[in-house]
Amino acid sequence: MWSWDFAISILPQLLQAMIVTIEATIVGFVIAALLGLLWTLCKRSPFTPLRIAVNAFVEFIKSTPLLVQLYFIFFVFPAFGVSLSPFLAGVLGLGLHYSTYLTEVFRTGIDAIPKGQWEAGSALNFSRVKIWTQIIMPQAIPPIIPMLGNYFIVMFKETPLLSAISLVEMVQTAQMIGSASFRYVEAFTDVGIIFLVLSYPASLIVGVINKRIKQRFGQSI
Amino acid sequence: MVSNIAIFNSLLKGLAVTLQVLGYSVILALGLSFIFGFLSLSKWKIAKIASHLYIEIFRGTSLLVQLFWLYFSLPILGIQLPAMLVGVLGLGLNYGAYGAVVVKTSIQAVPKGQFEASVALNMSPFRRMRSVILPQAFVIMLPTFSNLTIELLKGTSLVSLVTLSDLTFQAMALRSATMETVKIFTILLILYFIVAYPITLAFRWLEKKLSVGRG
Amino acid sequence: MNEHVAGEPLVKYRNIGKRFGATEVLSDINFDIYPGEKVAMIGPSGSGKTTLARMLMTLEKPSKGTIEVGGELLWHRNVNGRLMEANASHLRKVRGQIGMVFQHFNLFPHMTILRNIMEAQVHVLGRTKQEAKEQAVKLLEKVGLADKCNAYPAQLSGGQQQRVAMARALVMKPKIMLFDEVTSALDPELVGEVLEVIREIAEEEEMAMLLITHEMAFARDIADRVVFMAEGQIIEQGPPKQIFNQPKHQRTMNFLSRFSAQSQSV
Repeated sequence: MWSWDFAISILPQLLQAMIVTIEATIVGFVIAALLGLLWTLCKRSPFTPLRIAVNAFVEFIKSTPLLVQLYFIFFVFPAFGVSLSPFLAGVLGLGLHYSTYLTEVFRTGIDAIPKGQWEAGSALNFSRVKIWTQIIMPQAIPPIIPMLGNYFIVMFKETPLLSAISLVEMVQTAQMIGSASFRYVEAFTDVGIIFLVLSYPASLIVGVINKRIKQRFGQSI
Repeated sequence: MVSNIAIFNSLLKGLAVTLQVLGYSVILALGLSFIFGFLSLSKWKIAKIASHLYIEIFRGTSLLVQLFWLYFSLPILGIQLPAMLVGVLGLGLNYGAYGAVVVKTSIQAVPKGQFEASVALNMSPFRRMRSVILPQAFVIMLPTFSNLTIELLKGTSLVSLVTLSDLTFQAMALRSATMETVKIFTILLILYFIVAYPITLAFRWLEKKLSVGRG
Repeated sequence: MNEHVAGEPLVKYRNIGKRFGATEVLSDINFDIYPGEKVAMIGPSGSGKTTLARMLMTLEKPSKGTIEVGGELLWHRNVNGRLMEANASHLRKVRGQIGMVFQHFNLFPHMTILRNIMEAQVHVLGRTKQEAKEQAVKLLEKVGLADKCNAYPAQLSGGQQQRVAMARALVMKPKIMLFDEVTSALDPELVGEVLEVIREIAEEEEMAMLLITHEMAFARDIADRVVFMAEGQIIEQGPPKQIFNQPKHQRTMNFLSRFSAQSQSV
């Protein structure tokens, strides 16, 4: 029933699709990081309505399914004249959804910085921008690298959802292979193994980085 | 043109299915969390390896891949399961793996002195777990379990891709029937939020209740 | 010495050794405790005192040697003249004679004070709830905390928590109680109340006590015998007067003089 020959013969096609999966993960992660940082800054704004609005928005995005958000971007945006390709809609949805997780990560990083650092920055007469870029961020980022790494892996494992808006990544490819040959078992087993082979070592690497950072910075978060 | 009421009615039908899937998968995931969480703490090496394999396989491959695998592959292997069971099985197995790690780390997070005090009072291993370790580990688990339940709720939307007529599935059917995309998907998002928020509140209430007198 | 000390020892350590990895924390300890005897153990930190007590409480396994409690092997079973490792049920049986009070109290934070003291009575000794409650209240009165029955540990001061921990151990009626630096984690002003309770227990209770402490004056006061340990060995032991006034060993003298210098400088 299980055909090794077939399972191996479709690997090149799946690995080709894996490139799309990885591209989507990377672009999605960059968007998530940028938006996440934006939310973090907004949440610290002295302007109360902005804080409330961003908090509510983040809470809402975090509590509703990524799949539905992808549909929303892909199907509803065109009604407002914004038509996006599956890839663009996909990475935008993925990035937006996980920005609500990353903003928490950034917050923990920033909260861990002693108050004295802000005061020192002000005392040296640094501008607000300079305090953020020269003092706060360089200290806030290293301890949260492992957490960011974990979310990168989580996002990688979420990319199959992009197949629902017709992006031809690994799962979509497996489905096409399956419907053409009716050999779904081999196709999806292959995909599962590829995911495992990539994500398990990656999580081990994150673990090692975590240990290193703990040694260097006394603790990670 | 389909009336608003008709749209709302079929979404509510989908909501009922979503809640059903959620309920069953939470139970399955919780059961698996504790079984594999305990196994991973056992002295028995085979149990440790088994739980390690379970956890890494289900965390390391993607939920959708697991659902598709169950949905497409099991029939070919001669196992016919109803879509509901496939959905619940996929979600339960996946989130059970995450939950098992939570159970394990929470039990390990109970201070060692608690274990030692219960040994000094000559409690049996069962009694130690039941009276001393678990009640404290449970409080540690709650915030993460709260998050996992929300993740699981969001994950239920994936069952629409294996033809289970949940909330998302109904919305997609309505979309092709009515083309009222803005309305349908806005209501859809709001409905998910309406389910999610009380779950978060309930967990917060439980946390508060269980931490009476401590801290 | 002391009028309690008679007959067979309650606890016998024989050739006990313990290593953690490459470091030897105890080497070849032979040591007895008699029924009802109050033994104070002093010595620099890291000398192995706590490990010795934790082995008796079955929290730490000896690397070599045997321990007997009430004529029964603790960590071993004698099978046809050969020593086999004891199983869990054997450990439980022998452990019932031993109680312990910890440096960090280790009260159960999710239980009220009353339940802290009742839990093991009900589930280990099989007492009824009514009986367990009566016993608990009686002991709480003894340690002066009868009004705290329904409080949670976090609502009590360190000294009060430690007094509850003593009540919790006492209620199990052990034949020997171990006190592992029970005042070391306390704020200085709370040490007195805890020592006072220990003194009362020592005077009123029949059971043997092994008291690991840095409170020299207190040790001298209540102990029948003082044991000085350093670097995993028992350097010398004897009646308090002898150890504190005429120590035989240079190490003991050094330790005691450093200690009195310290306590004077505080």
